[in-house]
Amino acid sequence: MSLPMHLRNYKEKSKDEQTRDFFNVPVWDAVPSPNEEPVTTKPRGVKDGSSSGGLQGMDINAVLSVEGKEEVYAGRLSLLPPFLCFISLDRRSCRCTLPLYTIRRVERLNSRAGVFALSLATWHGMRIILQLTSLLPTAEHFSILLRDALKSQLTSMKSLKPFLPSLYSEYLLTTSSSSAQQQNPDHLLLGTELGEKSGTAAGNDGEGDLRGPGGDGKGSYQRGLGETFGFPGDARKMRERSKMKLWKEYFMIHGRNFTLLRYPPFQRLLQVGLPSRLRGELWEVMSGSIYLRFANPQTYSLLLSNNKGKSSQSTDEIEKDLNRSLPEYKAYQTEEGLARLRRVLVAYSFRNPELGYCQALNIVVAGLLIYMSEDQAFWLLEVLCDRILPGYYSPSMEGTLLDQRVFEALVQRCLPMIKDHFASVDVQLSVASLPWFLSLYINSMPLIFAFRIVDCVLAMGVKVLFQIGLAVLKINGEALLEVTDDGMFISLMRDYFSTIGDSAHPNHPDPRVRAITNFQELLVVAFREFNIITDDTIQAERRRLRAIISDEIEKFSKRAAVRNLKKVGSFDKDEIGSIYDYYFTAVCSPDGGPANGGSGSSSPKFGDQFDQPRLQVDAQGRVETRIDLKTFRVFLSEIATWAREETVTTNAFIQRTERRLADHELIDRLFYSWDTQAQGTLSLQDVVIGLDRVMHAGLMESIEWFFNLHDKDKDGFLTKDEVIQLSESLLFVFRNEPGDIYLAAVSKFILNAYEFGDANSPHPISSPDGVPRGDQESASHVRERSDSTSGPHNLPYLNLATFRMVVLADELLEGFFGHDLAASFQLDKTVDEDYHQAHQKPEGILGGLMNLVVTNENKSRLNRLADGFGAALGKHAEWRKPSLAKTLPSSSSQLSELGTRESLLTPAQQEQRRNRSVSAASQASARSTSSSVGTPESRSLADVEAKYREEQDLVRQAQEAVMHRPNFAIDAIGDSDGEEEEEEGEGGRGADDAVMDEVEAFLKAHGDDDGGLKGEQKKQAEDLLKAEPMGGGVSANNKPGRPSGEGGLIDL
Amino acid sequence: MSNEDGPVKATQVKLVLLGEAAVGKSSLVMRFCSNDFNENTSPTIGAAFLTQKCRLENRIVKFEIWDTAGQERFHSLAPMYYRNAAAAVVVYDITKASSLEKAKAWVKELQRQANPNIVIALVGNKLDLVSDESGASVAPKSKPAAEEPANEAEESETDAEDDATPPPPATTAAAGDDSSDSLRQVSKEEADEYAKEAKLLFFEASAKTGANVSELFTEIAKNIPDETPTKPAAAQGQAGRRNGARQGADSGVDLGERQQGKKGGCC
Repeated sequence: MSLPMHLRNYKEKSKDEQTRDFFNVPVWDAVPSPNEEPVTTKPRGVKDGSSSGGLQGMDINAVLSVEGKEEVYAGRLSLLPPFLCFISLDRRSCRCTLPLYTIRRVERLNSRAGVFALSLATWHGMRIILQLTSLLPTAEHFSILLRDALKSQLTSMKSLKPFLPSLYSEYLLTTSSSSAQQQNPDHLLLGTELGEKSGTAAGNDGEGDLRGPGGDGKGSYQRGLGETFGFPGDARKMRERSKMKLWKEYFMIHGRNFTLLRYPPFQRLLQVGLPSRLRGELWEVMSGSIYLRFANPQTYSLLLSNNKGKSSQSTDEIEKDLNRSLPEYKAYQTEEGLARLRRVLVAYSFRNPELGYCQALNIVVAGLLIYMSEDQAFWLLEVLCDRILPGYYSPSMEGTLLDQRVFEALVQRCLPMIKDHFASVDVQLSVASLPWFLSLYINSMPLIFAFRIVDCVLAMGVKVLFQIGLAVLKINGEALLEVTDDGMFISLMRDYFSTIGDSAHPNHPDPRVRAITNFQELLVVAFREFNIITDDTIQAERRRLRAIISDEIEKFSKRAAVRNLKKVGSFDKDEIGSIYDYYFTAVCSPDGGPANGGSGSSSPKFGDQFDQPRLQVDAQGRVETRIDLKTFRVFLSEIATWAREETVTTNAFIQRTERRLADHELIDRLFYSWDTQAQGTLSLQDVVIGLDRVMHAGLMESIEWFFNLHDKDKDGFLTKDEVIQLSESLLFVFRNEPGDIYLAAVSKFILNAYEFGDANSPHPISSPDGVPRGDQESASHVRERSDSTSGPHNLPYLNLATFRMVVLADELLEGFFGHDLAASFQLDKTVDEDYHQAHQKPEGILGGLMNLVVTNENKSRLNRLADGFGAALGKHAEWRKPSLAKTLPSSSSQLSELGTRESLLTPAQQEQRRNRSVSAASQASARSTSSSVGTPESRSLADVEAKYREEQDLVRQAQEAVMHRPNFAIDAIGDSDGEEEEEEGEGGRGADDAVMDEVEAFLKAHGDDDGGLKGEQKKQAEDLLKAEPMGGGVSANNKPGRPSGEGGLIDL
Repeated sequence: MSNEDGPVKATQVKLVLLGEAAVGKSSLVMRFCSNDFNENTSPTIGAAFLTQKCRLENRIVKFEIWDTAGQERFHSLAPMYYRNAAAAVVVYDITKASSLEKAKAWVKELQRQANPNIVIALVGNKLDLVSDESGASVAPKSKPAAEEPANEAEESETDAEDDATPPPPATTAAAGDDSSDSLRQVSKEEADEYAKEAKLLFFEASAKTGANVSELFTEIAKNIPDETPTKPAAAQGQAGRRNGARQGADSGVDLGERQQGKKGGCC
């Protein structure tokens, strides 16, 4: 049984979260402040992305340039505390994610009027110039926010220094004494002779031999298994040395690790494959996992030490797969390699117990560990599971299923011939493509090539997986059209991947063409022809298909769950299906969360309890969802009419039903009696068995189970207290029945029970005088009497036979146990529909309006409003819906008969009642009740009409009011401020747009390839490089709140 | 493997292996295929794909084997693999009672969701772990990997739903007489009874020693209707299968006298 609640509770990411994702910036929760206790288990339930620790973010247009670099880029600067991010307008040329703790100094530059420019000095001595091209006030606002955010990062800055030595790039740059020979990195692709040249030059570099083992003991940087066991591939063939040299040069100008800027050469360096030694570090930098590692320095080791020696289903599964994880790589034939792999997988399974371990992670992590240390790989794994490949490895693998479907849709769109052919021969793409996605191709092609794909995935995101997949299909298009079954398809793909290092054009006369490998061709096709596949494409497809996938998974898990039930009692398949639905609806409901019962949305709540007994692994290794008492109440309220309070309110406009959970010991008793294993939770199976016993019980069984429910010690006798409790349970069930017949019946029951109990008591002491009591005494009297006379109350008193007799002596109770009790459990959805109708699509005059106002809060507000109107009009009425519904007469005229027992319906009538829509019945009684509230029926027509007009006016006014303000819930406070600000902002935006238009026009006119700026603006930027920082207090007078002296200068 | 046997064209048979994790699905396939397949199989992600031919007297059957991942979360992917499968091998571990439960669930699912003519074989693997009984030519190579024998005995008792009380000597419960035998948690009789009831082929096998492995696949091959392309009417196919199943089940019972078609053996 998998966990459909994830799917039901799925929320699309907010814009802010998307921006954070784009820049690989972790959500705020994942970045604990340094003084906080390290949390090892994954924080769950993402808070609103906007609440960035109280610091405000902001976007602004800006132009970026770097000292020592020609290019200048216009783009968008985003302050996402604690990060400052930039992306150029074309969204690919230039981009950076700067943690604020790497910024040493920010100064406002003294420049021409109208230009607002900041100079950032980074940790690595790089100087970045940012021209804020928005209006002055906006720019100033931005710089204030930036200053505040910077201040908050002072503590993190202190941890930076000890952290940096863990990075190879630091070692690389500090050990190289030789100054940078300024090679233009753009020549990279012609790098053969370059490689040779640098091969000789690199001799004095200290890390001369990049091929095999080496570098141990040198530097304290974190390293992968490759440093000891050798990296896959031939270092010479891969031109490691020249690549390393180019990277070194790149780092000198564009910053490194935390401060790395992505300029166009970055993309080129990336696509030729990262050098092995740098790969691990660049992976964590590109994916952003380095920020997590930095922010959570102890987590990994704590996870290992806290869970030492523990075993779980995940650890067992991990153990089984260790020997099947890249066994061809030397390290994984040794204990050391396997131990590292084990530790990372185990640590993650404890970090994220809900996900645990999924096959294929072993392959992925085995791959990562060749290039990364355990700590590095661990955090990258977290980023992979959370952000890059969301839901891929979760227990229901919904992300995998979804992306497979997305992939199929993209193949349909881009390569329709192949898709059509596959459809005609009934071959599923997923049989081949599933492992591509799940293992990032690591398992599908030779390692050296697979890792180059991993490089691109980590730098550019999941779209790369799709692009490569499409390119593979496209390149093999002709052969694929010959495929007739799964087997051929698989073999074809296998053959292709095994020859991927071969020449794509082996017979071409030109040696340079011959040198092009299949892999290079693959990359070219993937990134040229399928660059139309963007993140947005994939997001859109996912959005489109998610509902379908969720639905399928739910159906599947439902089928499996139902099939796996060992006992289904007398329920048919549909009924079991309904029980399943109610069960999981309860699990997913906000009230169904665990005991913390507070406010907040549902998702974080049940997340907290995941390692609690709600999820258990059953004997067959299935993860089983179990419900606790609280959730059970929700569940029962859906099924049993008496387990909920339904208030039906009618006012002049609508009728609505409000449901609340009822709370009574009876429900708890039911829960514990169904919990046969005394686990404190119920499985679906428990619930089915329990319901079966209740719903399919005849008169005698009903009496018996109800008796047993109250017989706490199971000795076959109820004590006096228990008799009282049982009566209370009955009264609870009857609480909303109209009339007093039920009350009378229960009083009678108590009397009789005591009387016969005394008579039959196995413990004669209980009734010393043995005098039968008079019928006329009220129940409370009896209680008092027995209190005084019968001694202790916890003695066995009433046995089943007597109980049965007492029940059968009463017609009403007999009817209750005969069928009403069983019938009060309703699996059919008709009740539910009524509920939805009343709740979600209210009709009537205000009904349509109601639908405009979607949130619950608004709804209740509107309801109150309507009630107000209704009350004013004297048409407001409220009543509790009876649980048994049996005494609801078909017309209000029967109300008067309620006093007599004759009002009990015959079974035939019962049937009738069932068929009749409940709402109709309740409306009928609504009428009667409201008349008692006092609608003056005897009004003159004119009067009524006038009233009606008035009513309509009110409605219209209300309607207008609502239409006028769609954000109904956001009221008064701060509203006016907001508006002002908005106006201001609009003005600003107008100006911004103008500026941007200019910039764009400029760009167009100059036809710049890389999206960089040229000419005058570039010159301006260059001027800025030489500009002096402004003196203190220049802008101080603008903002009185700012301490003077600091001015535009943020000096750290 | 000669496949140039004149006009005899190999019948392609899609076969899927299902069963709980670590019951030895992959090992069974490796044992069956290892003769002409490279040892270095990739680990199972979703499913591993292998092929192997099996020669019968009158024809060659070419198995296209999908060795599915046993991890529970991959369950929802299984339909992709058993779709259109002509045969399924549902594997359990005779030293782990719960694995038979899982196998039963798989059989149920296959019977409801898969191709109606599918030939299903139930295989109890790891025969090598229990001492020899019933004449199987397995060397009593007991590898005592017992972990919690006490619990296991209990479990097997509760799990034995079939009221076919197994004859005392061969069975599980008595942990006293033979130390290696106590590893067995699923009695052959119990599984056989179930296989008959559900109309499955039934074998106990050992991927480690190879016992019954080729017999298993040969028997499956025999039960596959002759011509590939023909999709016989459901009723007919159903009947054919039932016969086959019955036969298979019988052969399962008296494993002592070995299969008739053994000479056709694969590999």
